[in-house]
Amino acid sequence: MAFVTLHNVTYQYPLTQSPALQEINLKINEGEFLAVVGPNGAGKSTLCYALAGFVPHFFKGELTGEITVDGKKSSEATLDEWVMNVGLAFQNPFNQISGAKFTVFEELAFGLENIGIPREEMKVRVEEAMALTGIRELADRSPYSLSGGQQQRVALTSILVMKPKLLVLDEPTSQMDPIGTREVFSVVRKMAEEGMTVVMVEHKVEWIANFADRVMALKDGRMVLEGKPNEVLTSDMLAENGFGISRYTSTAREAKKRGLWKKENLPVTLDEAVEGFAK
Amino acid sequence: MNIEITNLRFTYPTGLEALKGINLTINSGEQVAIVGQNGAGKTTLVRHFNGLLKPTSGTIFIGEWETTKFSVAKLASRVGYVFQNPDDQLFSRDVLTEVTFGPRNLGYEKAKIEELVQRALSLTELTDKTDTNPYDLSPTWRKMIALASIIAMDTPIVIFDEPTTGQDAVNVARIANVIAELRNEGKTVITITHDIDFCAENFERVVALSNGQVLLDGPAREVLGQEKVLAQTYVDPPQLTRLGKRLGLKETVTRQEEFLRAIE
Amino acid sequence: MNLNRSFFVPVNSPLHNLNPLTKLALVFSMILPAFLSLPQLAPFLAIPILIAVFIGRVQKQYFNLLLKLVLPTILFMFVMQSLFLPGGETVILNLGIFDVTRESMQSAFYTVSRIFVMISSFAILLLTTHPSELMSDLTRRGLPGQFAYVIISTLQILPQMQAKAQTIIAAQRSRGLDTESSFRKRIGSLVPLVGPLVFGSLVEVEERAIAIEARGFTSKRVKTSLHEIPDPAFDKILRGILVILVIASFTLNLWLS
Repeated sequence: MAFVTLHNVTYQYPLTQSPALQEINLKINEGEFLAVVGPNGAGKSTLCYALAGFVPHFFKGELTGEITVDGKKSSEATLDEWVMNVGLAFQNPFNQISGAKFTVFEELAFGLENIGIPREEMKVRVEEAMALTGIRELADRSPYSLSGGQQQRVALTSILVMKPKLLVLDEPTSQMDPIGTREVFSVVRKMAEEGMTVVMVEHKVEWIANFADRVMALKDGRMVLEGKPNEVLTSDMLAENGFGISRYTSTAREAKKRGLWKKENLPVTLDEAVEGFAK
Repeated sequence: MNIEITNLRFTYPTGLEALKGINLTINSGEQVAIVGQNGAGKTTLVRHFNGLLKPTSGTIFIGEWETTKFSVAKLASRVGYVFQNPDDQLFSRDVLTEVTFGPRNLGYEKAKIEELVQRALSLTELTDKTDTNPYDLSPTWRKMIALASIIAMDTPIVIFDEPTTGQDAVNVARIANVIAELRNEGKTVITITHDIDFCAENFERVVALSNGQVLLDGPAREVLGQEKVLAQTYVDPPQLTRLGKRLGLKETVTRQEEFLRAIE
Repeated sequence: MNLNRSFFVPVNSPLHNLNPLTKLALVFSMILPAFLSLPQLAPFLAIPILIAVFIGRVQKQYFNLLLKLVLPTILFMFVMQSLFLPGGETVILNLGIFDVTRESMQSAFYTVSRIFVMISSFAILLLTTHPSELMSDLTRRGLPGQFAYVIISTLQILPQMQAKAQTIIAAQRSRGLDTESSFRKRIGSLVPLVGPLVFGSLVEVEERAIAIEARGFTSKRVKTSLHEIPDPAFDKILRGILVILVIASFTLNLWLS
């Protein structure tokens, strides 16, 4: 039995002409790390909102089909119950700061206060979460005094501290340098290994190939491809449809035409490219 | 029109010293990418080019104009600046009015404004959207409107602050196209970017900043090959450069064609 | 960048250690008599206020606030009231059509004394109480969480709005918008500034609502608080005494009038 199931999910925002998601069918296992790729406007963020319960509970509009997480149907739950199991962090970190707290430590405790975690446990959980994402030294800073990349780490940590069963991340590294990006992917990988189910929207193809278990490609609200990272991310279809692809893939594809790439499969990561191009 | 920066230092009112003695000359018609970690001083530097910031010490000349002696509105006739977030600059009811705003501020004649606006719209593929309200379009298109509204000002120098952040592959290609077109017209293009592959494919010269100082400056191939030095400012070399290094290629490669030629 | 967005001064003092509700009670035990009791009382309340400033060890910050905020406000009010308050016979000063009388000056003095007491009391409260503690304590005592959130987030978001406005102004000046010259041009330049600010705020409000909701803001569970806010017997007794004092001052007031 899959941990997350989307069955024929179609959704249209109020006052819009066409659906943002169309007939999405998807199963995700417990502890699986699924990456979602697609051009702007493909419905990636809407998918995140749907998994996190904000579509349709917050945005209204009509959702048909069924979303199930851990055996519970989103249509039958209220939003405040749903967020107990599903955590969401999205792209703009600045707008995710609660505004109610004066230090990063308090900011991280905000969610735990809301769901009634006892004080002592709260402190332990905040400390653990900060250690995990490497932001211990930011504990006493004002969340507003941080850089975009640091704020993104705080936003991620503020959700991790809630210990959701399903973690939904919408471009969580968009403002980070390569070091920060690597750390976020490692943390997310580690959480998946410990049993957390992860859905992450990302443009950074090379990182996805190195860390995710599976990739789903969205375009115009439809799932156009789904499978192992290497298979999906090297597909010709992606390159032809405006998806971001790794330079290793595009270069090897061209090299293949000229007889300079001998292998059957195209590379996504540096290691794969080195292996294929080495004489 | 050259940009001449001498001993530029800048300290914010909070006491943070963001620029610690920058010397840089950017020649007319050059395509320069500025890279470096967050907080390296990239935005602080380019905000001096159109006078939004004035040096604590040192000088900047845009042509024969010293920036401290001219208002931002005046300098806008020489330096166009596309902000990172298009929503900070868009306010009009339709795309056409928005794009016309800049050139009209600069006081061009009516016929010239019309011509500049049409050219900017076609360059950014917005010609069929002139009557649309910018906020009815996706963030991707709003980015293109922001680009068009600056290009239409027809300044000899154009600055882009993180043009590719949050853009998909199709739009990144559109932006690259705009930059190439500006190069053909002989404009100076200066771009701040985190996207190092985009930088490698579209810019001849790269300036790496670190901690308020110039860490590296030179032709893209020379700068982007220096993995160890770039690591000081948290920049990874482009994918193909790393691949070339791992394969033991003698020369640094940054672009696909170079790479394919090198392994042939 | 402004790291500390509240007035709070982090030192240790007897006032800092009082429970926030006790301090709030102290504030009202100043304000209520000042406004509702005999007008002559208000000026004398400056004495306990000054004592509190020193007990709270916030002299520097308080006098700073006094100079920059309180004095200009009350001076302005004093002048306006002295000039425009009708009535009174003892003319002290004649300024064209205005007569400044002894009575209007006296009345103005009482009014600004009251204002002084009110602003000063709240200033001392904010200087000696961390805003999160104040709100946590009041929420624990039944103040709706949403209400506390609005108060605190307003404190925090105003400087952010200001920073955002600065960026928008910079973006429009870069497009040749002349904000540095004539008044008429400045007024005309408001449109390109207000549009992005309003739109940006709308997006921000929606996203922030999602972000706090995702962290259980509307959860029906009983909320807990990170900060433990002690409320010892001393505080409870002090609050009792304050209530009695306030009632006594009213009784005195009724009896005298």
